Amino acid sequence: MLRLIANTRTNICFRGITRAMLAAAAVAITLMAAPIVQAVPQKGGVANIAMIGEPQTLDPMSSTADLVGTIMQHVYELLYTYDANSNVVPMLAEALPTVSKDGLVYTIALRHGVKFHNDKEMTSEDVVASLERWMQMAPRGKAVAKEVKSVEAKGPYTIVITLNRPYAPLVAHLALSNGFAAIMAKDSIANPLTQFVGTGPYMFKERKPDQYVQLVRFEGYSARKEPASGYGGKREALLDELRFIPVPNANTRVEGMLAGQYQFADVLPVEAYSRLENAPNVKPVLTSPFGFPYMVLNTKQGPLVNVTLRQSVEAGLNNADMMAAAFGDKKFYDTDPNHYAKNTPFYSTAGTENYGKGDAKKAAALAATAKYDGTPIRILTSQQYDFHYRIALVMAENLKAAGYKVDMQVVDWSTLIQRRNDPALWDIYITHSAVLPEPTLTPPQLGDGAPGWWSSPGKDAALAAFNAEANPKKRAALWGDVQRVVFTEVPYIRIGDFNNLTARSTKLDGYVAMPWPFFWNTGLSK
Amino acid sequence: MIRYLASRLAGMVIVMLIVATLVFIITRLAPGDPAAVMLGEQATAADIAKLRGTYGLDQPLPVQFAYWLSELAHGNLGQSIFLQRPVTQALAERAEPTFFLTVFALGIAMLIGIPSGIVAAVWRGKAVDHAFSAFAMLGASIPSFWFGLVLMEIFAVGLGWFPVAGYGDPGVPLSNRLYHLILPSIVLGVVNSALILRFTRASMLDVLGEDHIRTARAKGMSEARVVLHHALRNALIPVITVVGLTFALLIGGAIVTETVFGLPGVGNLVVSAVLRRDYPVIQGALLVIAGLYVLINLSIDLMYLVIDPRVKY
Repeated sequence: MLRLIANTRTNICFRGITRAMLAAAAVAITLMAAPIVQAVPQKGGVANIAMIGEPQTLDPMSSTADLVGTIMQHVYELLYTYDANSNVVPMLAEALPTVSKDGLVYTIALRHGVKFHNDKEMTSEDVVASLERWMQMAPRGKAVAKEVKSVEAKGPYTIVITLNRPYAPLVAHLALSNGFAAIMAKDSIANPLTQFVGTGPYMFKERKPDQYVQLVRFEGYSARKEPASGYGGKREALLDELRFIPVPNANTRVEGMLAGQYQFADVLPVEAYSRLENAPNVKPVLTSPFGFPYMVLNTKQGPLVNVTLRQSVEAGLNNADMMAAAFGDKKFYDTDPNHYAKNTPFYSTAGTENYGKGDAKKAAALAATAKYDGTPIRILTSQQYDFHYRIALVMAENLKAAGYKVDMQVVDWSTLIQRRNDPALWDIYITHSAVLPEPTLTPPQLGDGAPGWWSSPGKDAALAAFNAEANPKKRAALWGDVQRVVFTEVPYIRIGDFNNLTARSTKLDGYVAMPWPFFWNTGLSK
Repeated sequence: MIRYLASRLAGMVIVMLIVATLVFIITRLAPGDPAAVMLGEQATAADIAKLRGTYGLDQPLPVQFAYWLSELAHGNLGQSIFLQRPVTQALAERAEPTFFLTVFALGIAMLIGIPSGIVAAVWRGKAVDHAFSAFAMLGASIPSFWFGLVLMEIFAVGLGWFPVAGYGDPGVPLSNRLYHLILPSIVLGVVNSALILRFTRASMLDVLGEDHIRTARAKGMSEARVVLHHALRNALIPVITVVGLTFALLIGGAIVTETVFGLPGVGNLVVSAVLRRDYPVIQGALLVIAGLYVLINLSIDLMYLVIDPRVKY
């Protein structure tokens, strides 16, 4: 999960929320302090990469933590991945799948001659075993498993996935490198994993908790031929070794970059931007958009079960003020009401007229219509993520201005994620998520059973149509219907988008900013 | 003496039992759930319940407590939920940086605190006394994270003399790892020297006012001999007490400094465990720290015998 703001206490990684991957549909736009003009990367050297904390596991399936995915995407690969424009492209698969006319059967041809780190060739048996494990144990895989009837090998280099009903997001799930469908050598599969045998450009060497995770170049790596683009295309391990070092204190990551101890530092405090910009040996890198803070409303129990009251809350909130309080400079956030940016496949303005502008009168009128009886609205938030807390403070004032009584409950993150599972304990909680290229990947409230427990005929109809449609252009239009239902029924409120500040050494050549940073095709200049 | 030792050791067992009970209760009274933290945002209630079952967290608390105690009796502190390894192993891996950091920091604190305390007492009320008192106030007031960042900025980023953070690259020798401890040791040493300085000064002032010191001076003994031989030795008992307590506190309490300097020590381990609700690690670490605390206290009491012949047990 990501952490964005300078907050010395926050940097232990609680992982559940994913970090922004692929910039909204299109572009992980890299706003650099200088244009990306870099020397040709050279082979050799070691990169020290300062991460926000210690990964709680190295099993890429079992956790949706950003840390885990970021590190292990170098070791394990997927059947598919995303290019720089958020298109799904093949990685270990030979090509995009062949889909039957009824949308139920996906036939996936595998690449020949791909070697695992144990020098054995990848075959359909490994892929089937990996996908089965993913569907059994990974939070994301379990969601997909409900839609899957069978996964079978058809010869050594082909697999066939048969669905219970048409499910268009399948390939997007298979391409996401977070809680991911990593392809593992079948004989290394165990629970828990004790060997990390993938096909990636780097091999796992050693982990010393709270010190480093050490990866070294895999000399037998089988690269794709296409030019590199985003996470897709040709990958080459130029650096001899990658060391992912947990540095929980954000200020220490900044100092380490300035001192030249790290070649890359992740998730830096926005207050450090000018120092990084002025340092001769460092380049700040902004990934935009990176994630979005959102608040979940309890639709199961308490006053906000009433949809009119939820609409009142939506009208009364000033999203622009909340984002300003949370992130300061506009360089670090955006307040577009649409869930996906312009020029991206899922851009839609449907329902955005309801995006909160702090209209206290309208909120009060809707509250009166809903016969609000003065029951305090319990806001559950945490200072673990400083921006959550700042958003909550503004929200509380907005609600009070609209005539609500507010009960702010500030707890630590572990407590929050426990309490949010009990509908009796809260009315609104604040969290954040990634900007992911496929809408159904996040937030979990678009699925079933997530805290908030949103369930309605409108939701079911909009999502059923969206998930059943395989045609990308038609899906884009259908997403507008889902977005409209979200703005109308208000199960959650997406406040805006925020960007991520990272930094790289000026000697780190070939680095391409993506939400989950990767270091293949990256080298050190002499 | 033997009876005294036996009674102290028996007392230790009782103290540890009380500590174990309190640690377990306090840990479990805190809200939060390691399974929910571990599985993350996408996990369903069923996933969380299943993982809780895997680690026995679905059992009634008395059952969990009894199981933990029975494991403790066999020397097993349990298995970390997050680290997937025994708590004893996790603690052992982090013992080295914490131990050396504590020793270095305490050494620096003593080197600053004891001579300064003596000087301040001997020249009581003079400029040097006021200067050291001001230093002590400053040392006690400086937040260690801020002081750490300042030293980092000057000596690591600016001058490049020391690494910013971490505990060395893979496979480096011990000397290189210890080099990474210099800045954090200075931070902890300076911050903790204030207390030692104050205690040394106060104790020395008490002793310097006593009759035997006046007698020694009347006999024409040199001031240096009076202070260092007669006064200091008698003033050392409270100083040793505070040094011992500082040592015990540093063993488990260098949390902020370890976090700022990215040191893989016990303090860092405890903080991570608390935030993740990794119950076995929290319980195991606190128990070990409490045990060390009790042992150090016992050692201090025994050292009185060596320093002051008047003390008898």
